[in-house]
Amino acid sequence: MGKSFATLAFYPDKCDGCDECVKACALVHDDSGAFEHSRIQLAKDENKKFGLALCRQCSEPECVQNCPVGALSKDPETGVITCDDTCVGCKICTLSCSHAGITINELTGRVMKCDLCGGDPACVKVCDRNALKLLKNSDLFNAWGNVEDLVAPGISSCLGCNTELLFRHSLRKIGSNTVLAIPPGCTAGVGAVGVNGVTATKVPSFHPLLTNTASMLAGIKRYYNRIGRDITMMAFAGDGGTADVGFQSLSGAAERGEKMIYICIDNEGYMNTGVQRSSTTPYGAWTSTTPVGSALKGKTRDAKYLPIIMMMHNCEYVATASTAFMDDFYEKLDKAQEASKKGMAYLHVFSPCPTGWRFPPEKLIEVGRKAVESNIVPLWEYSNATKRLEFTHPVDDPIPITEYLFLIGKYKHLDASQLELIEEIRDRRIEMLDNISKS
Amino acid sequence: MIEKIVCDGNEAAAWGVSKAKPDMVAVYPITPQSSLAEYVAQFVADGVIEADLMDVEGEHSVLSVLQGACLAGARTYTATCGQGLAFMFEPYFRTPPLRLPIVMSLVTRDGITPQCVWGGQQDAMTVKEVGWIQMYCETNQEILDTIIMAYRVAEDRNVMLPVNVCHDGNYQSYGVEQVLLPDQEMVNGFLGEKNTNWHVALDPDKPMGVDPLTGGAGGVGPSRFVRYRKGTCNGMQNALDVISAAHDEWAALTGRQYAPLVEEYLLDDADYAIITIGGMTGAGKDAVDEMRLAGENVGLIKIKTFRPFPQAALLDAVSKVGAVGVIDRAVNFGWGCGPVYQEVLGVLYRMEKKIPAVSFIGGLAGADITINDFKNVITTTKRALNGDPPKSTIWINE
Repeated sequence: MGKSFATLAFYPDKCDGCDECVKACALVHDDSGAFEHSRIQLAKDENKKFGLALCRQCSEPECVQNCPVGALSKDPETGVITCDDTCVGCKICTLSCSHAGITINELTGRVMKCDLCGGDPACVKVCDRNALKLLKNSDLFNAWGNVEDLVAPGISSCLGCNTELLFRHSLRKIGSNTVLAIPPGCTAGVGAVGVNGVTATKVPSFHPLLTNTASMLAGIKRYYNRIGRDITMMAFAGDGGTADVGFQSLSGAAERGEKMIYICIDNEGYMNTGVQRSSTTPYGAWTSTTPVGSALKGKTRDAKYLPIIMMMHNCEYVATASTAFMDDFYEKLDKAQEASKKGMAYLHVFSPCPTGWRFPPEKLIEVGRKAVESNIVPLWEYSNATKRLEFTHPVDDPIPITEYLFLIGKYKHLDASQLELIEEIRDRRIEMLDNISKS
Repeated sequence: MIEKIVCDGNEAAAWGVSKAKPDMVAVYPITPQSSLAEYVAQFVADGVIEADLMDVEGEHSVLSVLQGACLAGARTYTATCGQGLAFMFEPYFRTPPLRLPIVMSLVTRDGITPQCVWGGQQDAMTVKEVGWIQMYCETNQEILDTIIMAYRVAEDRNVMLPVNVCHDGNYQSYGVEQVLLPDQEMVNGFLGEKNTNWHVALDPDKPMGVDPLTGGAGGVGPSRFVRYRKGTCNGMQNALDVISAAHDEWAALTGRQYAPLVEEYLLDDADYAIITIGGMTGAGKDAVDEMRLAGENVGLIKIKTFRPFPQAALLDAVSKVGAVGVIDRAVNFGWGCGPVYQEVLGVLYRMEKKIPAVSFIGGLAGADITINDFKNVITTTKRALNGDPPKSTIWINE
């Protein structure tokens, strides 16, 4: 599948134009620290908005492609574009680069560009406003990019579907020695269990009832245990099939310590059947069964907070997760798989839904991230081995809830009193989790 | 040496299970099945049943865990009745089209409301259209033997359907009789290697999507669905021969011959007959014996296999008489008669000569259908034979 590389990212909103990064770069590469020796340059417009000219270490670099003497090349290991002695200083590369990230050192007559300081860039270290970051998400890709996607391409999910993202990533992480149970819901609906005899999964999958996912998986697992085969049982169930009508079988299986990974894809409602409310639909949210009218404005009760309920079942492992924090989620999948050898591992994954929640598909990850950053969706894990609840992405200084809520159409009717109540609900939940984590 | 024990019907069922050697058993207690759940649990604890026991949180999950186990290749057993069956209905409804050879004792019970935890057959009769094979037993020995035969039927490649072995709540669940335990080696030979998941399976070594959605209103979707339905239907019809063959072989091995589909009792020279199902049959036979001594030419037809319905065997039997009286322990609300009666009418239509048939409903809420009750049934049926049938269903024990 190829290899992916780290790159420098610049966040103009956070930049105050202090030039420290430029200075630091120059110092690293030339003792003089002269600005003209820096490999990054800060540009300012008349409104004091800042832009940084820097090398993005492009995957298909125009500079490399256009170099007439072949002096430029992309290092296959680090991904950094380097220039060797054959450079003749023709400047064609500088004309090719759309990021203005490559230039000529007038003193040497050779190409000068960012080399990422061997993986620890000086510019990032000096920026105390976090306007520069070395993004290493590519490590995740390199770790898993070549792992087989166990879901066929082209399943029929909605545009920007989080469930598909979640489904593909979880399954490739857990691997093919798995039996899947996918009850009615979006995951089944997009063709994961198949239509007309053709299934989208490359592992055995079953479409249980909406009500019996956990018990059905328990039966399979018990028999395989009996005959000495070690196979992972995994459920992909929506919040309806988990928190509502499927809860009895889930609760029973958890109490009995059945060995499985149960993933609840919480998109806060019955999205597959027309956006109706479920017991995990939050207070104030519009759904087709908690509509907005003159008498009522969205759901009048808050969501059932299932992960804590599962924690109290003595599950081996319980965690909340979000696809906007994929590395966190991957770690939790690892722990869940390990825990599922001893008992139930329950993952409650926050799953924004562009179709049902009314927001543009391209905002999916932003919605997921802001839910966490506003503390509306705290990320934590609980292990039965340590009996400890720990925040895995603590947010001490949350963004205002409106930054999250107003991204989403289902909340657009909220009035001041409703907003206040949502904030109160959030604070109470965080306080509760905090108390548990300290106890 | 043949081992003899004295036990009630629930314990007899548990012994039958022990001989069939299932891999997984799951039970949830409900009156009058509870002691059967307890026997199964104790037998597992004592190693008499060498199965994994799953004590789950309700009947809905009982059948769900067994569906999972069966899809992984296990031989499975459970038991339920009444409200438990009602709660189990969602997965129950789905077991036959999945073609899972699960065997379940149905300790038949009447329905609520009004509150009633006693015998009756309303539960079994309510689910008769779902696709489970239903066999009704008359004695505790027959319960034990039929459970073993049920695995043979369920796992037959031409059948592959779940089986309910029914015995009457209260009367048979708690009624004590002598029972012979079959030799384990002999049962092993009779049942052979288990044959549970050759067609559908959940196994990473042969990945497949089990039970995918059928597509929309046109094209391949409905046609695939129809083939599923016909397949289940054909399995049901094939079961008639398989049940008969299993009973014959069992008789050759044990000397215990039960009529596999329809038993004819003193029928060949009878002018008219009563039709019974399940545990009431013993009292019915006693009544027929007494009426015979009084000079009445009456016989008895016992229906053992109710699903698939033994049309040909019943047609043979009813063709020998001029009138029938059918006793039900359940109600067919839409027709104002008993459900077995309604089924018998379907067979009578195929007779060349139209004969009178009377519907009796008795034994509801655990009521006893006494020999005297049967004598009244016989007398009323004779009146029908002589051209004076009652105008409507006769309710015994009212």
